[in-house]
Amino acid sequence: MDLMTVDKLNFFYGRHQALKSVNLPIRKNAITSLIGPSGCGKTTLLRCFNRMHDLYPGNRYEGRISLRDQNILSGDIDLISLRSRLGMVFQKPTPFPMSVFDNIAYGLRLRKVKNKNALAERVEKALKQAALWDEVKDRLGDNAAGLSGGQQQRLVIARTLAVEPEVILFDESTSALDPISTQKIEELMVELKKEVTIVAVTHNMQQAARVSDYTALMYLGELMEYGDTKSIFTRPKHKMTEEYVSGRFG
Amino acid sequence: MNRAKTTNLLFQLTTFGAAILIVILIVGMLLTLLHESWPAVRRFGFFDFLLGRRWNYADNLYGAFRPLAGTVISTALALAAAVPVALGTALFLTELCPHRLRGIIGAAIELLAAIPSIIYGMWGLFALAPFLENHFQPLAAAGPGRLPLIGSFFQSQYAGGVNLFTASMVLAIMILPFITSITREAFKQVPPILKESSYGVGATRWETIWQVVLPCTKSTVAGGVIIAMGRALGETMAVAYVIGNRHGALDSIFSPYSTITSVMANEFNEAAGLQMSSLFTLALMLLAANFLVLSLAKYLLRPRI
Ligand SMILES: Nc1ncnc2c1ncn2[C@@H]1O[C@H](COP(=O)(O)OP(=O)(O)OP(=O)(O)O)[C@@H](O)[C@H]1O
Ligand SMILES: [Mg+2]
Repeated sequence: MDLMTVDKLNFFYGRHQALKSVNLPIRKNAITSLIGPSGCGKTTLLRCFNRMHDLYPGNRYEGRISLRDQNILSGDIDLISLRSRLGMVFQKPTPFPMSVFDNIAYGLRLRKVKNKNALAERVEKALKQAALWDEVKDRLGDNAAGLSGGQQQRLVIARTLAVEPEVILFDESTSALDPISTQKIEELMVELKKEVTIVAVTHNMQQAARVSDYTALMYLGELMEYGDTKSIFTRPKHKMTEEYVSGRFG
Repeated sequence: MNRAKTTNLLFQLTTFGAAILIVILIVGMLLTLLHESWPAVRRFGFFDFLLGRRWNYADNLYGAFRPLAGTVISTALALAAAVPVALGTALFLTELCPHRLRGIIGAAIELLAAIPSIIYGMWGLFALAPFLENHFQPLAAAGPGRLPLIGSFFQSQYAGGVNLFTASMVLAIMILPFITSITREAFKQVPPILKESSYGVGATRWETIWQVVLPCTKSTVAGGVIIAMGRALGETMAVAYVIGNRHGALDSIFSPYSTITSVMANEFNEAAGLQMSSLFTLALMLLAANFLVLSLAKYLLRPRI
């Protein structure tokens, strides 16, 4: 089932058109990876999904992105609640300058979850989902800046999970991590897709092949090819896709 | 010796001389202050001078308490007025302001910082003092002026608008650009993805500013406030114009009063003997306070990796 559909999406940074008539389904409870050479528009597309572009002036969308049959590009969408339905994890970890506990509780407190027990329960659940609980359960009160890079990235995932999103958007979220931390996050993504839908931008072809169910290749703002990961990597339709996934291009 | 070696040696000697000169100047200045303030300290004792509540030419008795209180209170009032406005302006400029307006307001702030302090003093005396007297003092008298016990501190007994409050407001306007530009720089340094992470879990702009931007920048903001505090402590001409230079007890914030710097500016010309020595002791105290404040600011604004 498709949780989201991107339909003839154009996106403009001022006058510069960064996405050209992109069509793409996002399957529910699956991992879709976005690949393509630098500057092809992967981040731009990802940031359309949670309307992050709206924070900056001059940006413009055309076309349609549906999430459960609702057009999230329409003007009357509540961006605050939309953004918490589609959590985002960035290239570098972004812990807030506060304790581990407060980082996870951040989104919940914004939603007026005040009850101490309820808060503690949901923080614990989110940390367990993000496979971080065992490592931090004795230091929930410590500042999150003291965690390792990999732990911080899982903290950010836990913070996102705490508000129970439908989709998590990963933008090269393992590119700043060591191989072991990367592997942990990859395993986590596979585990998480039981509950959420994942869209992940990556430059790492092995990663895309290992973890994703569907793969979309972008080039110069357009979607070149989309399909299930196996066929993209073994029987690509385009010559360029073949060259890109085999590392001979880009 | 060849020419390269000679010029090199010459260069080293001149730069070393310049550096040493600065140290000599500072030490010399400190020695002058210590030497000149000694008679007053010997006569009154350090703590009796510090806490003495008189400044009396007839009996030739001097104490620092009232000017010291004037300096502390005017600085505190100035900060209380300037900090919220400066933070608001800096946040507006970094987070909310449309691009075109940003340049204009930014330039206006820099201009404010470039105005010489004597001009602030003249403007304070001719424009701000009557304005506050006519429009603000009645409000204060009708509001907090009605409170029991402390009410009289908000009532004015003196006409002219030349008083501790007016001096504090002139100071507030003078330090505004410093706090604004330092905090603005700090807010600009907060990585966009950190703010976006906050929006990403459903925060509003206001919640993001309050819970992420401000905590991230708090020590830089504090450093900026402290630098401004150092300026307010030492500001002389503007304050001397509008504070009224009265040595009586502080009965209201709308009464003329004095600060360390205003006393020094007003009395230095005619002072001699013990009075002169007392002025030097005030100067020494101001120097010590400024030194402490600047060290604190340096610590808070130290470069971090
Ligand atoms: N804020 C912006 N304003 C103007 N143009 C932008 C902006 N951000 C990106 N672009 C342009 O849009 C195009 C797509 O950029 P985008 O960041 O989406 O690429 P990407 O595929 O994520 O690349 P990378 O793999 O390097 O992260 C590029 O040509 C880029 O220069
Ligand atoms: Mg990118």
